[in-house]
Amino acid sequence: MSRRFLCFSVVSLLFLAASAFADAPGVYAITGGTVHPVSGPEIANGVVIIRDGLIESVGVNVAIPLDATVIDVKGSHVYPGLIDAQTSLGFPSATATRRRGGGAGARTAAPEALPETGPSFLAFREAKLSDDDLDAKRGTGVTTIVTAPAFGIFNGQSVALNLSSGTMESRVIRNPVSQQISFNPRPAWTYPDSLMGVISYIRQTFMDAQQYSAARAIYDKNPAGYKRPDESPSLEALGGVLHRDVPVVFVADSELMIRRAEAIAKEFNVRMIIGGARQGYKMGDELKSLGAPVLVSTKWATAPTAKEDREEQPLRVIRDRQLQPTTPAVLAKSGVLFALVSGAGKTADYFAGIRKAIENGLSADDALKATTINPAKIIGIDRQLGSLDRGKIANIVITDKPIFDKESKVKRIFVDGREAKVPTEDEKKKSASTSTGTGVDGTWSFVVKATSGDVNISATLHVENGQISGTYSGDHGSGDVGNGTFDGTTVQFSIAGGGKEEAGDWVFHGTLHGANMDGTVATTLGTFPFTGSKK
Amino acid sequence: MRMFMSQFAAARPGLTAGDSSPRSTATRYRRLGMTVFALAVACSAFAQDLLIRDATILTVSHGKIEHGSIFVHGGKIAAVGTNDQVTGPSNAQIIDASGKFVMPGIIDTHSHTAVEGSVNEISLPNTGMVRIRDVLTNEDIDVYRQLAGGTTTALVLHGSANPIGGQSQIVKWKWGHPVSEWPVSDAPRTIKFALGENPKSSNFRPPPGIPAQYPQTRMGVEEVIRQSFTDAKDYIARWDDYEAKRKRGETPIPPRHDILMETMVDILKGKIDVHSHCYRADEIMMLLNVADEEGFKIRELQHVLEGYKVAKEIAAHGVGGGTFIDWWGFKAEAYDAIPYNVALMNNAGILTSVNSDSAELARHLNQDAAKAMKYGGLSEEEALKLCTLNGAKQLRLDHRIGSIDVGKDADIVIWTGHPFSTYSRVETTLVDGEILFDRQKDLSLRKQLAQEKKDRLKKEADDEAKNKKKPGKSDDDAKPEVTNEN
Repeated sequence: MSRRFLCFSVVSLLFLAASAFADAPGVYAITGGTVHPVSGPEIANGVVIIRDGLIESVGVNVAIPLDATVIDVKGSHVYPGLIDAQTSLGFPSATATRRRGGGAGARTAAPEALPETGPSFLAFREAKLSDDDLDAKRGTGVTTIVTAPAFGIFNGQSVALNLSSGTMESRVIRNPVSQQISFNPRPAWTYPDSLMGVISYIRQTFMDAQQYSAARAIYDKNPAGYKRPDESPSLEALGGVLHRDVPVVFVADSELMIRRAEAIAKEFNVRMIIGGARQGYKMGDELKSLGAPVLVSTKWATAPTAKEDREEQPLRVIRDRQLQPTTPAVLAKSGVLFALVSGAGKTADYFAGIRKAIENGLSADDALKATTINPAKIIGIDRQLGSLDRGKIANIVITDKPIFDKESKVKRIFVDGREAKVPTEDEKKKSASTSTGTGVDGTWSFVVKATSGDVNISATLHVENGQISGTYSGDHGSGDVGNGTFDGTTVQFSIAGGGKEEAGDWVFHGTLHGANMDGTVATTLGTFPFTGSKK
Repeated sequence: MRMFMSQFAAARPGLTAGDSSPRSTATRYRRLGMTVFALAVACSAFAQDLLIRDATILTVSHGKIEHGSIFVHGGKIAAVGTNDQVTGPSNAQIIDASGKFVMPGIIDTHSHTAVEGSVNEISLPNTGMVRIRDVLTNEDIDVYRQLAGGTTTALVLHGSANPIGGQSQIVKWKWGHPVSEWPVSDAPRTIKFALGENPKSSNFRPPPGIPAQYPQTRMGVEEVIRQSFTDAKDYIARWDDYEAKRKRGETPIPPRHDILMETMVDILKGKIDVHSHCYRADEIMMLLNVADEEGFKIRELQHVLEGYKVAKEIAAHGVGGGTFIDWWGFKAEAYDAIPYNVALMNNAGILTSVNSDSAELARHLNQDAAKAMKYGGLSEEEALKLCTLNGAKQLRLDHRIGSIDVGKDADIVIWTGHPFSTYSRVETTLVDGEILFDRQKDLSLRKQLAQEKKDRLKKEADDEAKNKKKPGKSDDDAKPEVTNEN
């Protein structure tokens, strides 16, 4: 072998090695920053060593390995990457499908006959995470998410993912994390189209899963002489829930919805996690004795923009929206295991929501736990994530100021021991502007052309995951908007006739054209056209 | 609990003249020893003892008592009689009702108040699987307004969009209590049926693109009801077969538990009372016949505006009727409605009540009852029964509510004058012995709540202005707590 060739070989080997290292998680020493391990007190001028995707050591007098790339972050703060334990990242926010639900078939229909989701729906398989989603989410300091669609009733099985580049398979921390259930009525004339129908539907589905499991057990033991049971992936999927292997996240915001979820969880002896719980401030001690962990959504209710709209609202509504952000502080005081999640909220609003909870009495220390070790415990990944400890996955976020400071900026992020891109401020702004609300959000003036004359109604509408909520007032009384759905163009919602059943609900079916809407209103007195314009 | 109460009733300060001084009462308490202690604990959930003094008491069950008093203990009516007959312990709260009228709490057997979400599950012709009790809300202000009108008990029904609607719920308007305490514990289960224009979707059509909901005719309504009971009988047979196989030592695969079918079976077994929305005489007869043929009972016909045409037949079936006194012409099937319907049905021997179907009307059912004295000449007591005792009987709760009698729940309304006068208004409403509406308290609370609203809105506006003023001025907003790990 000639010397020249040897030389070439060494160079190419080095080159190969270098290119391999560029892609593989390497060895890093993060030095000089204030380290917040979460599992212990903060360490001034601390060192975190990362090797091959894991944390090798954390401390003050840690020897820097010779092969480590030293990253000096003097003056900065070093945290475990945050865990957002309930999102719908990677899923569309609305469901457009309407299914006919009549006839005897509907009441025997297995969940998979309903559109989109069901107990066997795997978020792992169906999530479509774009690079923009990942960049925007990571830009806030979140390195692990749990995601599942927000639409449907049985939203399916959620998955915990590291926000790394690479394949979906390589991102998974835990799959499934939970079965997720939301109390979302379907559009009118599709079972179940009322809240009480949704509750019956959930109960019936669990009963069917019990029967399925009993039938399979008998048949599998000795099939001779039995008509074989139909295969049902959905009911099969609920087996793990009934055996308490898989917990159920019930998405329930109000005190009443939490109690409804609790009743179902008790009836079927399932392991409950509460998701949402924005009215948790009303029931801290009860939640503590219930023992179910809580994923508190930081998407706090907001006030209408116009002063006169605010003044029209009942005190109950005003009081509620002002007290919602005290929920985390109340839960912390009661000793409830809780996490702060973005839930139905936008990525861009997550930190504002956390800060609002801090302004309303939550300590920054508790806020940090509620975004790191607590969610890790709740979803069962606390041996891998949630604190800066030897052997855990090297998800690390470095900020220039304490992480929940208003002006704090994320400087560097490591996911699985690899440095990930931090979006620039311009990119953040861009992603925030593209994810702002739908055209339905706002205050509308509706005119219904009834046979008896024009009926003027003013309504403030808000869309969240394809569901419209809001309030209305005017010639047809006032109250809450119900049963609302929005699929991008078609709007449906109903307003009650002041509790008078003979007056009946008025059901609006309209199409959105920019700041205008038109369509028909179904009432007990007939179907009338309506037009609407946004104020 | 009830056993304790009856034990206590024997020793209570009450109707027996002469021995009701506080001293002898105390002696009796002592003699009862542990029983009294247990009672004190058991009753601590109730409001304190109350003595309503010197009222004109409309008992509904046994006439009018001038200068009468009522002693309320443990949420129950412990004594009722004239002022000198009834006393209470010295620590009882005294309500001076001189010149005022007292009547039992009004019962509304047709309500849709306090339901969260739609009152109709409209997707199927039979939605007997859904339950109103799952969606009751204690945040509906109409409940409080109805207490202010003297209404204390309601049958909260599913809507009338389908022939067989959801399961309804009998509740007391326990405003301020968790909603789990609203359902009346030993009340029968109930379900809503509906006949006529609403269940055949005459006035309520799906939007374009969605096929019309079956049924579309009165024939179809009848068919849905019949078929549902046929299905229920099949369901019973399936389970009977399963149980028989098990008894023989086999291991059969269990049939599916179907909440809807189990509801239908419970109707057949008389465990669920049927309250059916109806208007026309022909459909009323249809339902009575179907009930006979399928083997179930109708407890109460709701609205039943043409009940007077077939009053004899309804009475013969032992079915009650809850109706409007003077609503008519609001749709085709209400054209033959007459205000004399109440009196005609009542006089034919039908257990008749007036009810609301409306959060607004539910606030003054006393006035609707009063109109039956004008339209058809019912006596004062017969008219009073229309909004109290008759409703209690229709709900099969007359052992607890509907009149001022010893042992009944202390659901009591105190009026400024006779409740049949349009000038009278409610001063105080008690539910289970607890004051849940008090006009004077309400008036003072109004100011307080208005102030709270003003303060909260101001704070909100101030905070927003502050945030707008200095965008990005982080130093002032920096939270000290984030700098340490305390």
